[in-house]
Amino acid sequence: MRNYDLITPEGTKDLLFGECIIRRKIENTLLELFKSRGYSEMITPGLEFYDVFNLNSRYFPQENLYKLTDSKGRLLVMRPDSTMPIARVVATRLRDAVLPLKLCYDQTVYRTEPALKGRSDEIVQTGIELIGSQLKIADLEVISTAVDSMKAIGMEFSLEIGHIGIFKELVGRLEATDKEKERIRKLIENKNFPALNDLLDTFGSNHITDALKKLPALFGGAEVFEKAEELMPDENIKRLLDELREIYEDAAELCGNDGNITVDLGLVNKTDYYTGLIIKGYLEGHGDEVISGGRYDKLISEFGYDIPAIGFAVNVNAICKVVEKSGIFPAVPSPDAIVFAESGCEVEALRTAQELREQGEVVEMALFDDLESVREYAKERKIGKVVVIDGENEEEEA
Amino acid sequence: MSKPIRIALTKGRLEKDTVGLLEKLGFDCTAVREKGRKLILPVPDANLEVVLAKANDVITYVEHGVCDMGVVGKDTIMEMKGKFFELVDLGFGRCKFALATKKGYDFYSGYGIKTIATKYPNVARSFFEKKGMDTEIIKIEGSVELAPLLELADGIVDIVETGTTLKENGLEVIEDVAPISARLIVNTVSLKMRQAEIEKLIKLIEENL
Repeated sequence: MRNYDLITPEGTKDLLFGECIIRRKIENTLLELFKSRGYSEMITPGLEFYDVFNLNSRYFPQENLYKLTDSKGRLLVMRPDSTMPIARVVATRLRDAVLPLKLCYDQTVYRTEPALKGRSDEIVQTGIELIGSQLKIADLEVISTAVDSMKAIGMEFSLEIGHIGIFKELVGRLEATDKEKERIRKLIENKNFPALNDLLDTFGSNHITDALKKLPALFGGAEVFEKAEELMPDENIKRLLDELREIYEDAAELCGNDGNITVDLGLVNKTDYYTGLIIKGYLEGHGDEVISGGRYDKLISEFGYDIPAIGFAVNVNAICKVVEKSGIFPAVPSPDAIVFAESGCEVEALRTAQELREQGEVVEMALFDDLESVREYAKERKIGKVVVIDGENEEEEA
Repeated sequence: MSKPIRIALTKGRLEKDTVGLLEKLGFDCTAVREKGRKLILPVPDANLEVVLAKANDVITYVEHGVCDMGVVGKDTIMEMKGKFFELVDLGFGRCKFALATKKGYDFYSGYGIKTIATKYPNVARSFFEKKGMDTEIIKIEGSVELAPLLELADGIVDIVETGTTLKENGLEVIEDVAPISARLIVNTVSLKMRQAEIEKLIKLIEENL
């Protein structure tokens, strides 16, 4: 007995008509924007060897991957991310390419989300990767592309930046085990102040613990840098902060009045392979980030090619949701005309339809054997014009 | 005035304590007190909208961002996990997760795998995982105390407030698992998009705890 032949798996859905129009429009807008800035598109396979994602740093826990085996019994996964496959290609086929490389992509990623949480297991991500430059102008180029992406989508947005290096430097100066460091990271990520304070108190009171305690509270506008400055214990960390401040100021200028640029020094997510700048984008009306990215200078070296990189991805599904909720759902356009062929006139009718299309009209062929049904169908589908080909004269009805 | 900030409260005792706290801050919570069967209620002078929900749902609504903030017990947070900021320990609703067995039972003896009955399988699993101990976890929906009495389980992991129910049924706490209290959680995007309003409210709350 078949139980599941009429439904789709949890976390997936069919998209129809207007939903497709919205999604394609967003994808095309972003891809065109990226291409106009010199990024070249690449497509990686939907299936990859598990090894590609099972690097030393294990960014993706195995329980969140869709797994299957190939004909030789080797473990495959459905791509949970586009950046790591792109890193693989850069370290292999693009190893001799001229740097910097500017790549873009528009593809689906698959992750198993907890059941019954209303989340999608299948997410379309459209994004860029800028590979081979560590300069500030590269960071700025990527941020400005993110700002332009948000502007192109045309809704109230907020772009946030952070620098994972600040946390890494601070926690590196703490005499703590890896497990303790991971707990500190987790508490900062969750902005869980009470537990963070308790845990850090066990390391005594000094510049480092003071700064770590304040880190998750350091978010907002330009004033954050003033507050952070006093907390940073040494010149190395202050330098990172200054770098971030320069980028913040430039980004705010680029953004103008179209959106909001903020900073959060407590952005320390684990699944990230990021080593420096971090970028997030938010839209009013969506409870999770719609842009996620950052600098990942060590990732490609895990594939044997030591080269810096930075990029971001836009969660197209999330943006579709916000657009659909906003009520500006586009109506699916009706065809302009329908052509009906009397028996024996089919070829002529097909030619006539093609001629009309060449004049820019959307034209359907009528697939009925009597004119009455065609008229009814045209009315139902809101097609304004019925063209009848009966071998003598062409008749048009409005 | 801007759109109100939506705060989801766990129905029951945490709801009463939170409303008490909001009144202490000087907000008029008449609508919430006289709610009848309504589930969304205004606190106009605070530009707040109170949503009443079950504990697990508070987390779901906050995660999705349809509520900006929520008040929920640490017990639910530990069991459900999720992506949100856990900003304030509100201090009320205090109790603990504990491991309890029949009085006098030597839980850690022998090499047999122990069976644990609980309403909180994730909490129980991670507690024993940290000890490197393999256990069999059985999810129970109602009075968990029954399971060891009926000899379905060797022990239970459950919320303990006063311990009276345990005592009356011949059970005792043999180990604390984690302390529990009410937490103020905030959606990760709301905190950023409405930073000034939310920070102002949190500051007020912290001053009045």
